Amino acid sequence: MNCREVQTSLSLYLYGELDFAREETVESHLAQCAACQLSLAREKEWHTLTNAQVHEPPLDLLAECRQQLRPALARESAAQARTVRGWWRWGNPFDISFTRWSGKVALASLLVFIGFAAARWLDRGLLPGPLTLNPSNAVIRDIQTDRSGLVRIVFEQERAVTGQIQDADVRSLLLSGLHQADAGVRFYSVQLLNRETDAGRMAEVRQALLDTVRNDPNPAVRLEAVDGLGRFSADPAALETLKFVLEHDENPGVRYRAIDALAPPDRALTITPVVTRTIQDVLLSSPDNDYVHARCSQILEQAKLPVVY
Amino acid sequence: MSGAAERSTETDLIRAAQRGDAGAFDELVRAHDHQVLRMAYNLLHSEEDARDIYQEAFLRVYRNLPKFRFDSSFSTWLYRIVANLCLDHLRKRKVRQEEPSTFDAESGQVDRLQFVAEERADVDPQRRFQSAEVHSRIQEVLGELTPRERVVFEMRHYQGMRLKAIGQALAVTEEAAKNCLFRATQKMRAALGDFK
Repeated sequence: MNCREVQTSLSLYLYGELDFAREETVESHLAQCAACQLSLAREKEWHTLTNAQVHEPPLDLLAECRQQLRPALARESAAQARTVRGWWRWGNPFDISFTRWSGKVALASLLVFIGFAAARWLDRGLLPGPLTLNPSNAVIRDIQTDRSGLVRIVFEQERAVTGQIQDADVRSLLLSGLHQADAGVRFYSVQLLNRETDAGRMAEVRQALLDTVRNDPNPAVRLEAVDGLGRFSADPAALETLKFVLEHDENPGVRYRAIDALAPPDRALTITPVVTRTIQDVLLSSPDNDYVHARCSQILEQAKLPVVY
Repeated sequence: MSGAAERSTETDLIRAAQRGDAGAFDELVRAHDHQVLRMAYNLLHSEEDARDIYQEAFLRVYRNLPKFRFDSSFSTWLYRIVANLCLDHLRKRKVRQEEPSTFDAESGQVDRLQFVAEERADVDPQRRFQSAEVHSRIQEVLGELTPRERVVFEMRHYQGMRLKAIGQALAVTEEAAKNCLFRATQKMRAALGDFK
């Protein structure tokens, strides 16, 4: 195999798509040819450059697609049912009609039979009874909201709860949603929990947000939880967590949002001594050329507080 | 979960969905829809088009699932549907809006790809490192690929599918898929090989 043949095989070699014998030949050639080693390095470079160009669909888009698929499937199902009815008419050689008196008697008998059968099944406990909710075992598939504020959470074998965010079942499921594998479900759970206004339930929501900010692997979910924590910025645990984000979160977007949660840019600046200390600590630990560093200095200067270096 | 257990679970789900179990169909969708959307979005760079592909793909699956006979894996079958939809979309787009890959110049016909390479040589070396430039260059080159080359490149490079599976999904031989990938990578190398 000469250099030209090796060089044209390099992409397939990197993809692992050469057969065993050809791969062996390429490798032996590479071991002793500096020019082909250089070509391999170049090949790897453009592979790496291209790898970085992957476009991940926005998180909202997947949720939106799932939401739009449901009515489309329902329409499809209805269309199929109409087709079946068409076939029934075609395949009904005895022309049984439910509009004639004999048809009506047959239909009434059938309904009576179904009624009796259902009653017997209910007696034996074979039909499902009213929903008893156990959020700790719920597997949440999806969360939807509409403009009126109604929330629909789909969990465990198509069972669903519909209600306001303040309803106990809805809220329990949203809290459970924070621990689901699907990042979209966790994202919407946080988003909806951020709308909670009942003072009696705030402690529970605050704790859930604190855990999410520190532990969730997905930056979009953490970012949403940081937004929610802004409401609790007077609380020492929330302050500590926001400081933790500013110092340790690897995602710059989450860090930026944390500084905005501590001192919202659109609000008149009133900083408590505890927040001041937190900002001064962050200032000391963040790199000089960082947005967080610049915002911390700006906040302290606006509030006419000492910028400690 | 082991591969065999996963397969049997998926087989159970498909059989349940074939019997009309909406929950099972929903689970099948959830198991694959992120990959479907990712492929469509990465290929078409448009939320609206990706949304259309997503919906049409799963509607086709829904319509044809009763006829699915396990001759191939479910994901190969699904990728076949998605790949064909994306190919149609890319072909329509080529016809509708894109410039031809060659254009007439005083000296005769010039390949746009060649033009890109020449233009690159004049760029200030420091600017080569700017990610925006790299990004637009890559998008430009990807746009130069034929729809079939683009889809094969997407499936191998971004989705990590083996050529055999790509061949099955596109209903061509593995060799044909390999040739297509080869052409695509040649074009990519020609345009991006000098970036460091």
